[in-house]
Amino acid sequence: MDALRRAAVLLVLAVTACSSIDSTTPAPSNGPDNRPLKNGGELRVALSAEPDLLDPTLARTLVGRTIFNAICEKLYDVNEKLAIVPQLAAAPPEISGDGKTVTIKLRQGLKFADGTTMDAAAVKTSLDRHRTLKGSARTSELSSVDGVDVVDQATVAIRLKAPFAPLAAVLADRAGMIMSPAALTAQGDKFATNPVCIGPFKFSSRVAQDRIEVVKDPNYYDAAKVHLDKVTYKIIADSSTRFNNLRSGDVEVLDTVAATDVDALKADANLRLLTSASLGYQGITVNIANQNGVGQAPGTLAAPYAGPLAADVKIRQAFELSLDRDAINTVVFRGQFSPACGPISPDSELSSDAAQACPKHDVAAAKSLLSQAGVSIPVKVGMVIGTDAQARRLGEAIQAQVREAGFDVELQPTEFSASLDQTDKGKFQLFQIGWSGRVDPDGNIANFLKTKGSQNISGYSNPDVDSLIDQARATTDTSRRRDLYGQVITKARADGSIIYLYRAKNLLGVSAKIGGVKLFGDGILRFGEAGFAVGS
Amino acid sequence: MGRYVLRRLVESAVTFVLATIVIFLGVRALPGDPVRALAGEENDPQALAEIRRAYGLDESIVVQYVRYVGRALRGDLGTSARTRLPVAETIGHALPVTLQLAAFAMVVAVLIGLSTGIVASVRRRTASEWAANTVALLGLSIPVFWFGQMVILLFAIAYPVLPASGFVSFFSDPVQSLRHLLLPGLVLGSGLAAVIMRQTRSAMLEALGSDYIRTARAKGLGGAQVVFGHALRNSLIVVTTIVGLQLGALISGVVVTEQIFVVPGFGKLIVDGVLTRDYPMIQGLVLVTATAYIAINLLVDLLYSVIDPRIRVGGAVL
Repeated sequence: MDALRRAAVLLVLAVTACSSIDSTTPAPSNGPDNRPLKNGGELRVALSAEPDLLDPTLARTLVGRTIFNAICEKLYDVNEKLAIVPQLAAAPPEISGDGKTVTIKLRQGLKFADGTTMDAAAVKTSLDRHRTLKGSARTSELSSVDGVDVVDQATVAIRLKAPFAPLAAVLADRAGMIMSPAALTAQGDKFATNPVCIGPFKFSSRVAQDRIEVVKDPNYYDAAKVHLDKVTYKIIADSSTRFNNLRSGDVEVLDTVAATDVDALKADANLRLLTSASLGYQGITVNIANQNGVGQAPGTLAAPYAGPLAADVKIRQAFELSLDRDAINTVVFRGQFSPACGPISPDSELSSDAAQACPKHDVAAAKSLLSQAGVSIPVKVGMVIGTDAQARRLGEAIQAQVREAGFDVELQPTEFSASLDQTDKGKFQLFQIGWSGRVDPDGNIANFLKTKGSQNISGYSNPDVDSLIDQARATTDTSRRRDLYGQVITKARADGSIIYLYRAKNLLGVSAKIGGVKLFGDGILRFGEAGFAVGS
Repeated sequence: MGRYVLRRLVESAVTFVLATIVIFLGVRALPGDPVRALAGEENDPQALAEIRRAYGLDESIVVQYVRYVGRALRGDLGTSARTRLPVAETIGHALPVTLQLAAFAMVVAVLIGLSTGIVASVRRRTASEWAANTVALLGLSIPVFWFGQMVILLFAIAYPVLPASGFVSFFSDPVQSLRHLLLPGLVLGSGLAAVIMRQTRSAMLEALGSDYIRTARAKGLGGAQVVFGHALRNSLIVVTTIVGLQLGALISGVVVTEQIFVVPGFGKLIVDGVLTRDYPMIQGLVLVTATAYIAINLLVDLLYSVIDPRIRVGGAVL
């Protein structure tokens, strides 16, 4: 009988629990947070995935950049407007007349976490390591660099093979992180197990698949502004588990709130939602000519991947016109994201009207294009999508929308890693995939749209586009670059190798007790000036 | 007895070798190129080739297998492709965590399962039996992932008396450890408790109907002595078998529980390893699991002979 009573009590408690969780207390404002913060305390952060190696030269995962933000500063950084600003450098880069020498002045008196001093030789050591270390993930980012020279103790000169405007943006990411030469020598290939750089925090410990801990670094040049004693990053892959941990107070910050949890988070008075527009995009890549594999010369597709969409640009345009981006955003993402028609974020200083131009949803025009093309209706096509619930919802929305115009989309849910493998080899017709985005638009465009680009799985090739991309790389004149990227996007969109769909938002859940957390468009979490609010 | 033990040891060794082959080939049958998983978003052909070479993935499968077995025999399970930390060391951190969780879940399961099983068999056709059967049915039919979310909602969010996640070792802080283990232990142990309850009940019913029990009662033994001293003792052989078999299942069955409660143990390593195509990690984990199964089965076989001497005698003439 006791067991029965216990079960009944449990059931009643469960019902009470659910009703109290669904309360609709208004959320505090997400505006500027100017509350005074107290010193001390440990911030616990739930990350969605395990970062890979904590070595700036070898690291590849996006999630790892959040850890590096705490422990490894860069020559340059971005501010909230995504403008590039000096971090370890003392001033913006000076570019020589021929565009092939970039001189960087360094801040002086800065100390690494191990107490050694940062100077030009240390910068050269790090940049050379990024360029030449076996297995470096930075090699291609720095492929334009011919060599690095120490001019004096506080100045380095970077020699380029050809003018390369995105260099400052590259140095505002992992390729610009400066490591302690003493630690590099002492630790050799074990540097990732105890990375030593300059940052508000220094590496403390790591338990694989569980946690990474960083502690306040007294050697940091701005240590007075650092409030927290410690930041612990916990790895929690499941989104609802992450959310439960934020609600229970087991973590104070949650990286990547699921779009479906946003309403519940906003309704909780103890939590705040921080958002920023992503630098990346999501879209549908059309296999036009990837017969020989990515990075190889385009060819003619054979069955079963050949089809009307690959063969005729009009049909690709009809497919795009039949998509209703606003409806996708509303239905699939509860209006959290923004429709997108091109690879450049509207927040970028290199964005333009041409870069953001977007055709309206027009089923009649789509039908008319299909009839002009003279294809038999329905046009059958397969689309590789992810295996998670959100990917399926997106796929089904696309499938339903284009059906109206006369397309019959077969959804092909494929495990992510397998889908990359398959689409690299050209074994697909359509692929729903996106890109996390880079500060400089070159990172969102060149590899995807240039002939034989390393991410050009469409097999797209247009010599005009190639030439415009090269010109945009070579000039440092912002308005000229803006104009060139506008032209690139106009031409590429007309060719329809990638049908851009939407731009996600970085969604961060934060306990109301915490202030000073910064989230910019790059999606990296910045805790350098974060802390517990006074009185919390 | 000696021959019986020897024979079981040889059988276990053969199973172990077969397991290594299956594990090795099984991991490679996973869809997707591990090199792409390692490369993240980047897709530079030169970088991909470099990663392939660095992890020996450019070698033939036979060469990879021989190297893997050679190193495994020396206790070297390789280096995690994701974190580049030694796999053996990572498993070494995770295994005690899972063992503590499994042991705690087992204690919970045995306490609940045995007590409800005994009650259900002794108090037949009463509300107690009905309640015990209901608990068993719920334990068997409620999915772990749902039960886990519910106890978190209840005891960590609505009435925050216990932590929603994490782990503290019993040996560093017993009180905090129990607080962290209570919810995952209850969730993990619930299914097993139901199995133990059903087995205990049926074994007890059979024992209680036996002639020797009638004789014991006729000799004037009290109810408790009959139930615990005679019926339960004879029923324990079946229950021990189930517990032994389930302990292996428990170790691999922590996968869901550890994900829900973010317990940095074996199950979480497995899921994260598969998601990131961390070949060395998956191989190491499955190898350790297989070894655990083999060892536990061996242990249970040997325990039989201690609990029931007839098996020892039978084993000796095999």
